[in-house]
Amino acid sequence: MAAIDINQEQFQQMIQGDKPVLVDFWAPWCGYCRRIGPAYEKVAEEYGDRLAVVKINIDEEGTLAEEARVEVIPTLILYRDGKAVDSIVNPGSKAAIDQFIQAALSQ
Amino acid sequence: MGEPHIFDMIVVGGGPGGYTAALYAARAGLDTLVLEKLSAGGQMALTGEVDNYPGFEEGIDGFTLGEKMQRQAERFGAKTEYAQVEHMDLAPSPKVLETSEGTFLAKTVVLATGANPRALGLPNEAALTGRGVAYCAACDGMRYKGKTVVVVGGGNSAAADALILSRIAQKVILVHRRDTLRATKVYHRPLMEAKNLEFRWNSVVTELLHGDKLTGVKLKDVNTGEETVLPCDGVFISVGRKPAAELVQGQLELDRSGYVVADETTKTSLPGVYAVGDVRTKPLRQVVTAVADGATAVHMAEEYLAGGR
Repeated sequence: MAAIDINQEQFQQMIQGDKPVLVDFWAPWCGYCRRIGPAYEKVAEEYGDRLAVVKINIDEEGTLAEEARVEVIPTLILYRDGKAVDSIVNPGSKAAIDQFIQAALSQ
Repeated sequence: MGEPHIFDMIVVGGGPGGYTAALYAARAGLDTLVLEKLSAGGQMALTGEVDNYPGFEEGIDGFTLGEKMQRQAERFGAKTEYAQVEHMDLAPSPKVLETSEGTFLAKTVVLATGANPRALGLPNEAALTGRGVAYCAACDGMRYKGKTVVVVGGGNSAAADALILSRIAQKVILVHRRDTLRATKVYHRPLMEAKNLEFRWNSVVTELLHGDKLTGVKLKDVNTGEETVLPCDGVFISVGRKPAAELVQGQLELDRSGYVVADETTKTSLPGVYAVGDVRTKPLRQVVTAVADGATAVHMAEEYLAGGR
């Protein structure tokens, strides 16, 4: 499953759901964001059954980014039961994203 | 359990050198795997515009060029695994690579791990990266529009970074530990002419001041020892590059700066192991020289494999 871009409404619905939600806050002009893209797609594939893996474009959803206090991108945040569990800024490898997800899920 | 799979070639690193090796290897019929920790392109992926790679007369952004190289290699059968290599055992046959995605075996290994910006080595430097500490003006400069930034370094890349930032930031302060720049002459005049650029000579950064984000730096005058606080929103560290060769330390011969010793043949001190691109000892580190290395490495590996290993 590919990581799709979502808007405010979809976000509010999703984080109240049964599955934890992993969000990549990104923007088209951000080089580091593009660089984690391929690894993030792989994550979406591998964790698709346990996690909703999505993206939020901060240029289009500025309010959401502000509410989530995202100041630097790319930032990944994992939500469970409507709340942010943990976040990571600019992970340097797919392995770093894996570790972040596993640590956040076990919290 | 069957016999474990042994690749003809594993390429470590998916930058221009790595994917060119993969392209040549796949076209030569070698069973080839690229191990890449994040995405294709390497350092080039963060270069907004590559204008000195022949064939793209309008320039091409580095990320796109990296993806093109990857797809081209994959068209001929090369595979990619998004894996972080944790340990390599390069002497035995087959060679053993332990990664975040499991263990891989190969008859030959091409090291294309590249280089990374050198850090200052200050406390909290890593934690503040992206929160005021940056290493690439072309990538991160836009975040500091109208703000005050410090550039640390005195070579060509520091000079180029200071110039880029002088067009974006309100004020740029170039901090250098000597009293003159090492940068090539072409940079001197534009730097002197930039009105919002100041120099702090004979100074080193001794501390990164911060709350949640960077708020300033502490400078020390190397002659008088006097310390001053310089408030700023960002600090761009431009003090050279460091080869990504930690994993092969103790296995391959490295030079004093940590580069893998290999000549034009890309052969390292171990048979069946080749070093391409920025990680290798060479006079010019560019995309075009990295891709040339990639092709050469495969030529050498074919000879080695034909020898019956």
